[in-house]
Amino acid sequence: MPLGSVLFAFVVGALICLVTGANPVDAYSGLLCGGIGIACAQGENSALQISNTIVFLTPLITTGVAVALPFRAGLFNIGAEGQLIAGAIACTAIGVKFSGLPSPILLPMVLLGGMAAGALWAGIAGLLKATVGAHEVVTTIMLNYVAQWLLRYLIIGGPLQLREGTSTSLPIGHGARLPTLLPSDNSLIIFGLPASVYRVHTGLLIALAAAAIFAFLLWRTSFGYEIRAVGQSQKAARYAGISVRRTIILTMLIAGAFAGLAGAIQVAGVDHNLTDMYFSDTTGFDAIAVALLGLGSAVGIVVASLLFGALHAGGSIMQSDAGISSNLVLVLQALILFSIAANFVGAIRRGLPFGRASAELPPELPPAAGLMSEAAVPPPEPT
Amino acid sequence: MSDQQLAVEMRGITKQFPGVLANNHVDLSVRTGEIHALVGENGAGKSTLMNILYGLIRPDSGEILINGKPVHMAGPRDAISLGIGMVHQHFMLIPVFSVGENIMLGREPVTGTDLYDHARARNAINDLTKRYGLALDPDARMGDLPVGLQQRAEIVKVLYRGAGILILDEPTGVLTPQETKELFVVLRDLVKSGKTIIFISHKLKEVLDISDRITVMRRGQVVGHLTTRETNEEEIATLMVGRAVLLRVDKKPAKPGAVVLRVEDVSANSDRGVPALKGVTFDLRQGEILGIAGVEGNGQSELMEVIAGTRHAAGGRVLLGDRDITTYDARTERDAGVAFIPEDRRGTGLVLSFSIAENSILGRERSPRFSWNEFVLRLVAIRDWARRLVKEFDVRTPSIDVAARNLSGGNQQKVIVAREMGSKPKVLLAAQPTRGVDIGAIEFIHRRIVQERDGGTAVLLVSAELDEVRSLSDRIAVMYEGRIVSIESPDTPEERLGLLMTGGGKAREGAA
Repeated sequence: MPLGSVLFAFVVGALICLVTGANPVDAYSGLLCGGIGIACAQGENSALQISNTIVFLTPLITTGVAVALPFRAGLFNIGAEGQLIAGAIACTAIGVKFSGLPSPILLPMVLLGGMAAGALWAGIAGLLKATVGAHEVVTTIMLNYVAQWLLRYLIIGGPLQLREGTSTSLPIGHGARLPTLLPSDNSLIIFGLPASVYRVHTGLLIALAAAAIFAFLLWRTSFGYEIRAVGQSQKAARYAGISVRRTIILTMLIAGAFAGLAGAIQVAGVDHNLTDMYFSDTTGFDAIAVALLGLGSAVGIVVASLLFGALHAGGSIMQSDAGISSNLVLVLQALILFSIAANFVGAIRRGLPFGRASAELPPELPPAAGLMSEAAVPPPEPT
Repeated sequence: MSDQQLAVEMRGITKQFPGVLANNHVDLSVRTGEIHALVGENGAGKSTLMNILYGLIRPDSGEILINGKPVHMAGPRDAISLGIGMVHQHFMLIPVFSVGENIMLGREPVTGTDLYDHARARNAINDLTKRYGLALDPDARMGDLPVGLQQRAEIVKVLYRGAGILILDEPTGVLTPQETKELFVVLRDLVKSGKTIIFISHKLKEVLDISDRITVMRRGQVVGHLTTRETNEEEIATLMVGRAVLLRVDKKPAKPGAVVLRVEDVSANSDRGVPALKGVTFDLRQGEILGIAGVEGNGQSELMEVIAGTRHAAGGRVLLGDRDITTYDARTERDAGVAFIPEDRRGTGLVLSFSIAENSILGRERSPRFSWNEFVLRLVAIRDWARRLVKEFDVRTPSIDVAARNLSGGNQQKVIVAREMGSKPKVLLAAQPTRGVDIGAIEFIHRRIVQERDGGTAVLLVSAELDEVRSLSDRIAVMYEGRIVSIESPDTPEERLGLLMTGGGKAREGAA
């Protein structure tokens, strides 16, 4: 099903190219080049393209987990973006305030701080869901706005602002930065470029570890069992003696910690400060697509993150090489998500029973589709 | 010749589903004006055959004759125009609409300006209900009606569409004994006025009671055409299951021991917040089965839930031995030795998407046996346990990794029974342990419950089937409106129990 959705998106994307007078072959070879470094027409450096893709996919993995885990408990976390921003803010605040501390102390502080902030952000939604029954889709979306405007306040005229007139925060201390995977030594030439241009950083390892922890938690622990039981049947969970409220709150806390970690990694590994780019960041929303496309499994999330990271990175090469707006990438992403939600591929495979009074209805609504229709709320406008 | 006329004739119907031959050269002939029972265990192919007759499924081969004429059906629309109506097991009603609106749905009478014509609708319905003696208020809101009346509305809906042949799919599954009786009166009246009825069921007593002729199916094939007057329960059961089955429960007299569970003046509210238990008191002894008889909805479910810890008691005490377990939650109760087979198998007793192995530890996922420090699951121990249960309780499955959803009802129930009995409980709460389960599994589950009793477990049984309560129990407590009105011996005549269940009769043994 996920592969079919991706295929469907690319076919429709090609049609869009044709209709709008662009060459789909050029478009997709641009994407391939920028995404995974093959079929490059203008002599781009493959290794650099792959490095860029990895930088993009790293936060997608952790936020993908932050969406997939609540999903298993029957909760739809639309707030990974807000949780990510909360994590990024906490990381920056700690990294600026204690900038003098050495790395072995400060780095864990900023990462754990980011996780705590993300957990807090999601925990609010979890607590509200468990106590007064406020729907997590609504609360997490609203908390996204709170996080975004809090960020705006902090770096435009607020205490973290670099200086008057900028929309950038102070940089975090060197001890708060995640080391790159390659030595930042300009004399070292790797794949024809100095090592320091590759931005690939150790956050990738943390993200992969997060995916592994997610899988372990879900499938190998009593708590993971309870999360899945609550997600599948609250009645059965209650019968078993599982506290549904406690499970909801804990699940959201853990999910928020993953999303907050993504924000912290992004600041500590790539940006080293908060900028206005975070206003228009969509990682936490792409994560929803990643979790759905990855069918909520750890391996699936990593693979889907790779796809979305490659699309993201490939968009700019497609634009510069083939002259096709990188917005096509957003169209492709949306088409993938759309076809998953509508379960088009499945319908086609069943032989298009539309319109006919058929007894052979789809046996069950795919859970993703059910949740999607419930959460058909557009993401906030990039500001 | 007139009474031999065939309303429905299906010849050599074959339908292959992926992996299953659901119907294999099935022949069915239903005479005009008879009640024809179609019986068979779950998965025998009854529903497939009826869905073919109703045009919902197209057969791979075979032919259908309605009133002697060969027909071809492309969908239910064709079936309806041929005068075939179906009352599904799960009602197709809109709860917020009135009875009248539900019945008219799709064929609403309208006034000149396309407005719903209430008066004409009401008259049409009153005509129908009067003609067939089906008392029904067309203005009542469907969702407010008891299940029996909702079913009646379904029948009227089908009649309104001009059906002469009615297919009733497991119509008594959701009904109380009283409602079943009322339904049978209605069905007999319908037949008198010339309708033909196909009655799908696996409850043999009812089939013998209501039908004229019987077609028995097993594994997609017809294994017997019987005339009701000339057959009996044993014969049908043997045909259905394919081997001789024991319909009576074979058990020795109980040897009750010490009191294990004491329920003292317990009261509790229902989900809707109204009192459901109004001071229930009884003792349950080691090695006995106490059956609770009662019309559903008289507090039996709530009583089980209070004891099992999934519902709060509003008053009174529950004692397990000397321990006051009134306020225990479900997990602590289970750890203390109270096992619970809940009445809602699919929604409560199992997580349907979980595998058998996963379901075998539901509620026990933090016990030291299956987890390390209540955190990491011991997968090997869990799989060993699941394999043992599957073997010991004869769960028919290719593997323990099969999702519970894909098991038959009987096997699903066996998984629950296995899990709850397998933990060697002191008290076993069994609520509707055989509801909707096929005969083979009923026989097995009954045998296990008696075995459990003989092993010294105290068993509390709740069942809507009076026969089940009578044949399994060592004592019978009759519940009515949240109270135990009497405690009776199991050989009490059915009439007396029925009277007590509906609030009549005189209590004995000083029950509260």
